[in-house]
Amino acid sequence: MSQATTVAPASPIAGVGRLLRSPLTARIASYLFLLVAWQLLSLYEDRFPPPADVFGFLWIEVTGGSHGGIVRGEFLEHFAATLPRFTLGIAISMVLGIVSGVVIGGSKIAEALLKDTLLMLVALPAIIWAFLTQMWLGLGDTAVVITTFLSAFPFVAVNVVQGIQAVPRDLRRMSGAFHVSSYRRVRHLLLPAVTGYLFAGFRFAVIIGWNAVLLGEWFSSSEGVGYQARYWYDANRYKGFVAWVILFIGFIVLIDRVALVPLQRRAFRWRDTQVKQAQRRVEGIDVAVTGA
Amino acid sequence: MATLRVEHLNKTFPAIERGSDATTAIDDLSFEIGGHVFVSVVGPSGCGKSTLLNIVSGIETATHGSVSVSEDGSPARLGYVFQEPRLLPWRTVMQNMLYVLEGEDVPDRARDYLRMVGLDDAGGKFPAQLSGGMQQRVGIARAFAVEPDLLLMDEPFSHLDAITARSLREQLQGIWTEAKKTVLFVTHDIAEAVQLSNRVLILAPGGRLFADLPIELPYPRKASDTEVAMAQAELLRRFEEMQEETDAARATDVAS
Amino acid sequence: MSSVPVARASRGGRPPSLVTRRRVRGIAGLVIGVGGFLLVWTLLSALIFGPFTLPPPSRIGSVMWEIVRSGQFIHHFVPTILRLAYGFGLALLIGFPVGYLMGTSRWWRAFFHDMTIVAGSIPGITYAVLALVVFGIKILGPILSVGLVSMPYVAINVAEGLDSVDHRLVQMSDAYGRRRASIVRNVLIPSVAPFAFAGVRLSFALAWKVEQLTEVFGSSSGVGFQIRHEFEDFSIPGMLAWVLLFVIFMILVERFVLAKLERYLFRWRLEDRP
Ligand SMILES: Nc1ncnc2c1ncn2[C@@H]1O[C@H](COP(=O)(O)OP(=O)(O)OP(=O)(O)O)[C@@H](O)[C@H]1O
Ligand SMILES: [Mg+2]
Repeated sequence: MSQATTVAPASPIAGVGRLLRSPLTARIASYLFLLVAWQLLSLYEDRFPPPADVFGFLWIEVTGGSHGGIVRGEFLEHFAATLPRFTLGIAISMVLGIVSGVVIGGSKIAEALLKDTLLMLVALPAIIWAFLTQMWLGLGDTAVVITTFLSAFPFVAVNVVQGIQAVPRDLRRMSGAFHVSSYRRVRHLLLPAVTGYLFAGFRFAVIIGWNAVLLGEWFSSSEGVGYQARYWYDANRYKGFVAWVILFIGFIVLIDRVALVPLQRRAFRWRDTQVKQAQRRVEGIDVAVTGA
Repeated sequence: MATLRVEHLNKTFPAIERGSDATTAIDDLSFEIGGHVFVSVVGPSGCGKSTLLNIVSGIETATHGSVSVSEDGSPARLGYVFQEPRLLPWRTVMQNMLYVLEGEDVPDRARDYLRMVGLDDAGGKFPAQLSGGMQQRVGIARAFAVEPDLLLMDEPFSHLDAITARSLREQLQGIWTEAKKTVLFVTHDIAEAVQLSNRVLILAPGGRLFADLPIELPYPRKASDTEVAMAQAELLRRFEEMQEETDAARATDVAS
Repeated sequence: MSSVPVARASRGGRPPSLVTRRRVRGIAGLVIGVGGFLLVWTLLSALIFGPFTLPPPSRIGSVMWEIVRSGQFIHHFVPTILRLAYGFGLALLIGFPVGYLMGTSRWWRAFFHDMTIVAGSIPGITYAVLALVVFGIKILGPILSVGLVSMPYVAINVAEGLDSVDHRLVQMSDAYGRRRASIVRNVLIPSVAPFAFAGVRLSFALAWKVEQLTEVFGSSSGVGFQIRHEFEDFSIPGMLAWVLLFVIFMILVERFVLAKLERYLFRWRLEDRP
């Protein structure tokens, strides 16, 4: 390897070989591979539309170009319906998650009584909330918001509890002994310890909440991204269906990679020993998902 | 007992980044040892001692030159005590021993050598349950248990406290006198080299052989013996000589 | 040196009263926890929602008992578990080689990097609905969605495990003339195992949710199908009974089988012990 950096390529063929071996080529190859696999899949199962159809459709949905009588610019309209529900659901789950996390993490009695309830809530699949809220409230915004918040808030709470319990006990005791004022205790002890966990909780809330809002819209709404996917599915227009699936995947991946992951990385900066763990969280793998 | 022949050995590590220089760890090194000898290699940190043992053991390959280890013409069996214990953390002490052993009576042999280092009842423990010194002793027992023709030891006592190190040194002397091994022992501790070995190779920075000194004193030796102390003084003198020479060389380098 | 005997004494010779006390505390914690759960639920049902919106635990309990007694539970449980097992088998079968490639070659790491990263943030519903379109309500749908959800986690963790292999141990093995197969068995596999296991545990928790979701969307048997069925019957007790039966089962598997197994397999990592 070191030779490769010090010795100039002798022939164009060597240069080509090196290009093929570069990580960039690997990345490009992986996207090509996915496209080819998708194309093959669509040949094998003719209900599954080929990439060209789906991307053509997507183009129209996003730009609103006119094509074959399909309604234009649906993209904005439906995201405009979904995003307020999503934001509200996440906001409520953050508030309630922090409150219940602080209560459970701060008091032994509350922990004994409520921790298992919390873990049960973490384990419940979001679909249950989608069904229940539909039965309770029928179609409409409220059902979707509640589904989102009920699915996401246990993850916030679990992370806050973890964060509070991560404050070393002797440190807490030490500040008690030195009569550190409670403002400073919160400011210098609790907040730095909890912030990282809070960000992790926020990120989970967003990812899990997105899944929940889509499910909620699939079952109890007549507009929004989730509803739109269902609409095309029920109409047997798989081209539209897959296009919307791509839209909702693209949305969350973008949010996660562009906003949440860098944020979380910053928040975990101070914990040197746990950098590795933070990275693993960042890669989307974390124990909080299991509720363990 | 084996014969180790090192001829015009050179090891150069290539530059890792653009702009940095390649490192010459060993430069034109030749020597031969064989029979019931205890040879120490001493030299300042970074002068290529571990690299030498790695090449002899086959972990690394030489850039130029050759190394051959033979036992009456057939390939020799090696034992290697590393600078740190290097035990498999997921295996018990006994399993660690068995991992490197082959042939008959293997468990008995493992037990014998564990007894030799005073760890008869540690066989069922995991390395993490032992202290650093105990782990290092397991490493020593493992190297002896393969009943090697050539035993390589890389600063085996440098991480240990003085008391443990002293007692292990004495045990090592005893085992070596009894077990008739060829030992190549790396250290940067001159007192240790003088106490244990009957021949000392001094490596200079850059991996050149600077001196090859015999130490003809009867065993068992104690660190406090007068003869040992005198031999130490002599060796130290040679070391200083080497230091001066290196400094002079560096001065001319800078000047030119 | 002096700290060693002390450490050993506290580890091996722990007074029995402490062990039993810990166990008693564990059981008490469980009782309080479950009691707390039922209490919260009963209060919510009686004071806020009313028995129709949120049936009390006693009602759900009797429905659960009915489901188990009638044999319905086994009938739908078995296909669900089997699909989970097949899907998981698939994930391991593909995840291990992919993880191996990622852990040993820079090129393959770059190749799989984006796919595995994106897989971590894709909503679960994606797998369910796509499996539905591609495979209809055939048995393959749930199996594949389980496989697709779990694979990236298995692969990433195997790769990370390979990264963590201490190459000095490999050198040691070389110096002692160990054969390749022996090194794989004694050094590589034990180094990767804790990572792989963590990956499996993690993806397990995700996989069964996605599997249920897939069954809700398109299947003609299984727990998820029953949940959907009860939903269409407007039976809240039936729905909750099914979901709770399954969740409780999964929590038990997680806590008692996987966690215990992990403790046992990796008992050499003493510092991880309480
Ligand atoms: N894998 C490697 N790649 C590049 N350079 C190396 C490598 N291993 C050793 N070196 C270099 O070779 C030289 C000799 O290293 P070596 O480990 O043999 O020293 P040593 O004499 O054992 O020192 P110490 O007494 O500190 O253990 C050093 O300059 C070191 O930087
Ligand atoms: Mg060294």
